Amino acid sequence: MKVSVNWIKQYLDFELPPLDELVEAIGAQLGAVEEVIDLGARYQGIVIVKVAECRKLEDSDHLNVCLVDDGGKTVGVNREQSGLIQVVCGAPNVRVGMFVAWLPPGTTVPSTHAKEPLVLEARTLRGVVSNGMLASARELALGDSHDGLLELDGDHQPGDDFAKVFGLDDHIIDIENKMFTHRPDCFGQLGVAREIAGIFGHQFNSPAWYTPQATIALAGAATLPLEVQNEIPGLVPRFTAVVLDNIQITASPVWLQVALARIGLRPINNIVDLTNYHMFLTGQPLHAYDYHKVKALSNGETAVLVARNPRASERLTLLNGKTIDPRQEAIVIATDQTIIGLGGVMGGATTEVDSDTTAIILECASFDMYSIRRSSMAHGIFSDAVTRFNKGQSPLQNLAVLADIVRAIQELTAARLASALIDDNNVAAETQARNALYPPIRLTSSYINDRLGLALAAETMATLLKNVEFSVDYDETSLTVKAPFWRTDIELREDIVEEVGRLYGFDKLPLALPLRPLTPASQDDLLELKQTVRTVLSQAGANEILTYSFVHGKLFDNVGQDKALAFKLGNALSPDLQYYRLSLTPSLLDKIHLNVKAGYDQFGVFEIGKAHTQRHTDTESGLPLELDRLAFVFAADKKAQRKHSGAAYYQAQTYLMNLLVEFGLAAKVKIVPLQPGNYDEVATANIAYYEPARSATIMIGDSVLGEIGEYRSGVRKALKLPDFCAGFELDLAALLAHGLKSKQYVPLSRFPDVSQDICFKVASELTYEELRDFVASELESKKPDNGLLDLGALDIYQRDDDLDHKQITFRVSLTSYERTLTDKEVSGLLNDLAASVQQKFSAERI
Amino acid sequence: MQYQNPQIAEVAQLLQKRLVELDNKVDILRAVELKALYEQIRTLPADQRGVFGQEVNRLRQELGQLVDQAQTVEQPLPAIDVTAPFDINIAPEQRPSLLSSAVGSTHPLMLELAVVLDIFYRMGFTAVESPEIDDDFHMFGALNFPEGHPARDDYDTFMTEQTDGHGQPFIAPAHTSTMQHRVLQTHKADLERGVPIAAVIPGRVFRNEDLDARHEHTFYQLEGVYVGQGVNAGHLIATLKTFLQAYYQKDLEVKTQPFYFPFTEPSFEFALSCPFCDKKGCHICSQTGWIELLGCGMIHPNVLRAAGIDPEVYTGFAWGGGIERLVMMKYGIEDIRYFESGKLNFLRQF
Repeated sequence: MKVSVNWIKQYLDFELPPLDELVEAIGAQLGAVEEVIDLGARYQGIVIVKVAECRKLEDSDHLNVCLVDDGGKTVGVNREQSGLIQVVCGAPNVRVGMFVAWLPPGTTVPSTHAKEPLVLEARTLRGVVSNGMLASARELALGDSHDGLLELDGDHQPGDDFAKVFGLDDHIIDIENKMFTHRPDCFGQLGVAREIAGIFGHQFNSPAWYTPQATIALAGAATLPLEVQNEIPGLVPRFTAVVLDNIQITASPVWLQVALARIGLRPINNIVDLTNYHMFLTGQPLHAYDYHKVKALSNGETAVLVARNPRASERLTLLNGKTIDPRQEAIVIATDQTIIGLGGVMGGATTEVDSDTTAIILECASFDMYSIRRSSMAHGIFSDAVTRFNKGQSPLQNLAVLADIVRAIQELTAARLASALIDDNNVAAETQARNALYPPIRLTSSYINDRLGLALAAETMATLLKNVEFSVDYDETSLTVKAPFWRTDIELREDIVEEVGRLYGFDKLPLALPLRPLTPASQDDLLELKQTVRTVLSQAGANEILTYSFVHGKLFDNVGQDKALAFKLGNALSPDLQYYRLSLTPSLLDKIHLNVKAGYDQFGVFEIGKAHTQRHTDTESGLPLELDRLAFVFAADKKAQRKHSGAAYYQAQTYLMNLLVEFGLAAKVKIVPLQPGNYDEVATANIAYYEPARSATIMIGDSVLGEIGEYRSGVRKALKLPDFCAGFELDLAALLAHGLKSKQYVPLSRFPDVSQDICFKVASELTYEELRDFVASELESKKPDNGLLDLGALDIYQRDDDLDHKQITFRVSLTSYERTLTDKEVSGLLNDLAASVQQKFSAERI
Repeated sequence: MQYQNPQIAEVAQLLQKRLVELDNKVDILRAVELKALYEQIRTLPADQRGVFGQEVNRLRQELGQLVDQAQTVEQPLPAIDVTAPFDINIAPEQRPSLLSSAVGSTHPLMLELAVVLDIFYRMGFTAVESPEIDDDFHMFGALNFPEGHPARDDYDTFMTEQTDGHGQPFIAPAHTSTMQHRVLQTHKADLERGVPIAAVIPGRVFRNEDLDARHEHTFYQLEGVYVGQGVNAGHLIATLKTFLQAYYQKDLEVKTQPFYFPFTEPSFEFALSCPFCDKKGCHICSQTGWIELLGCGMIHPNVLRAAGIDPEVYTGFAWGGGIERLVMMKYGIEDIRYFESGKLNFLRQF
């Protein structure tokens, strides 16, 4: 919302503080200021001159040599003996006696001010010196017109400061629109002026015409009758209109063009400019129709405007040339025969005011903000009217605004009222009666003080509110507050709290921390767990990465996951981000190649994140479950792979076990080889990318903790993974459920341990785990009472010439809490063990 | 493959062997040996050319088929004993080992989040994560955004094609405020026991925005909620100021600018004096001396009421802010897209 300081000053009866203080106060008490534009700088040095003489320049078909009168006020400029100043000018409309804006040498052409400033100098054109230039509206950045000089209407003193005379010694303060989402009144200069008065503690008085009691009286008969039919009073609570004739469409007077141009609007013609002027003054959009065009489209001798929904297959060409099929629920304006406008959004082309227009219908209506917003979104039209209507303009201000624009048009032109005032008013009678949208609000001063941390007297609060024209009845302890008719946002007591706080100044509130009991804040176990995982893995040399929660459908295809399980976005930014992911591993695999390519020869990456599937729903909330997961992938390129003899799987497993140790689970998990065909669709999606012969499910009891493995050749190929690549993915909820929060301590023994190695030659098919578990349970049962067993793998060996067997060597450590064990004792025990193992697995002790 | 010509048979054997080891199987079709065979054709006497040429062509075809096969058919790896701690015949010094902790790293966003959460823990706030998929009620309805309200325009949300029990699409939350209602409900009982609700909510949020160096469609927010008896706007400003001073470990000035959120009233944009230049003006604060960091406000009575909390008795405040911004300012990170890039040259610096 662009605010002109000069414009709002017209409504203030006190001296504004210096600009920086004003801007700071607006920021602190009204809304964030995006930009402050110094218009004065743009127009500095420009002088109003009168063209005193003008003759054709020889040898030129369009240039004129002008002598202009600056009242002798400009210093440092070449003058003729007469004191006049010679300027060459190519404008067709230049003539003796006209007042124009002269840009003396040394000034900057305003239209070039922002980008590449063009600084004028005295220049010789075809042998004639031109001292600066005479300016068109476009050169002055006051409009598009470049047909000729901007003729300054009215009487002027030659030599006057152009900027000062036309109020361009101005600053434009651009306040963020977002702040005014609930403040339709602040989309007008008047509303902002009022707030500024309130902020600086001054009483604001709206101009007398801004009253719900305003009216328009037609003396005599209606010469150009108008009828309004409102078929949708729910969406169009108020529709006021009046007809004016004897209109002559011209360019606006310069003051009006300037007023609009300085807040960034393009002047069009006197009628359209005045409707815009009133919209930017009050926030209330207005629309002007060509009366005769409307009548021609109506059935009969009366012009008819109908507010309704569109009929089937109705099309509409808008003022901007765009043709639309209005959405079914849109508010459209029609005659009794045909559609002519998209109400509150944009007028239609068929009834546009143009240079031949002699009579107009002025419409000042109220439209449902939600409907306006939907139509705007549906048709992609974002007009100044939409910006204002979709905040919900007060339906109590229509007559005030309509009456004032009629006055302004009549002041500017010879226009005459030609119809009675039409006021289709569907606003609730009680709302009209009280002149406020909501009933008065009763509250105590302590209600306000409690919420602001203040101790203001009711009287102080009342003054703050009255300054911005609330009516307030109050006593020592309580207030009854009635909002003015233009305020649509004052419904609750909290709204009053906000007003008082804002007008008092939130930055002046006393600062104190809230007091609370010493109850410790509870910790979220899952967050703690994630932090632990993060620490353990990064300490193990892995790198935490974050990838998007959304993936490309192709990634599912590449890793063999079923898209049908995943939630799909209906409005994805791109196909890259179309599906919620089913697990994290594919996202990680997607980041391997780029890092290998970047020269990282070996690395481990992990991500802690969430997965979602259509099969996991929280039965209570009906929402998809948040599946908290951890994925880890280790990769090494060909060169680094040499450091890792053997399958990549074991590298991933080493990271897994390192992590599980932290949660006391290393000895509790079971690594279960994948059994093809044995999984439901979700589990299938989780194992889809693993190489069956080199992967496993990680189980704790009956619960699945996760999966681990190398990746299928198809996956490796599609995602350009190096051969040495493996990883795991865990369900963090399962980890949380089963993991221990603290480490487990085993008391130390005073006696030394005895370690001996034992090697078994077993069939190749026998898994390490099967043998180890048996060995462990045998040793547990055979070890001395009150003893401690430690069993570790020392070596797994297979001879080249005997692929049917492998040799597994364990290191057995035994300790007693009661005595020193002897080697002999342990040897005997291992002999017993060897016998059982042989019996069980036909294993030979080596 | 059987070839009459011993020379071709030899090349065939050689190339088949090489194919197994090739990363990019197609390269086999560009092998010099194959090329040499083709070149040899025209050097041969006319009567031998036909047979020789046919065999070379057959070799090329068969290699082509092998390449196709290699590309479409899974090539299973030899099975291993997944229950073993290491592979067969691996010397102890070559067994799997962890990388040096020196190359390990924590994601900078998570690193910073931990710092932030720690300060709030110490201030008495409990933490809980927000979901990445939610419904319209938690995104808007419970937060006093009426259907069709223009304030919804500021939150360009992603929505799923699938719908919930009410026939509405699920929503990728555009703010962590989706948790406000849940937190209020969960801790309502505490409130009634005289213990204020104090919670911070970190979470990943999504906006349907085009990517550039300063805009991400995926980012992290931290939401905060405090509700109790006699909680006022001064408490809000003091709490945030206290946090920021602890975070930047220096005294700061703060200021508020009125703002509009449907779920707070009054609402503010919260700014702090630039901690990097002490308000003198620098590139981080765009020479203004101030950094706008958070949105905040007093929780709207409708939001409290929706969670079954009586706004006559209890009042509270809430705030929300992005984590990326903190991290980018702290380290001078120039491009927000690095965070989700997965690039180790970025990540290993943290």
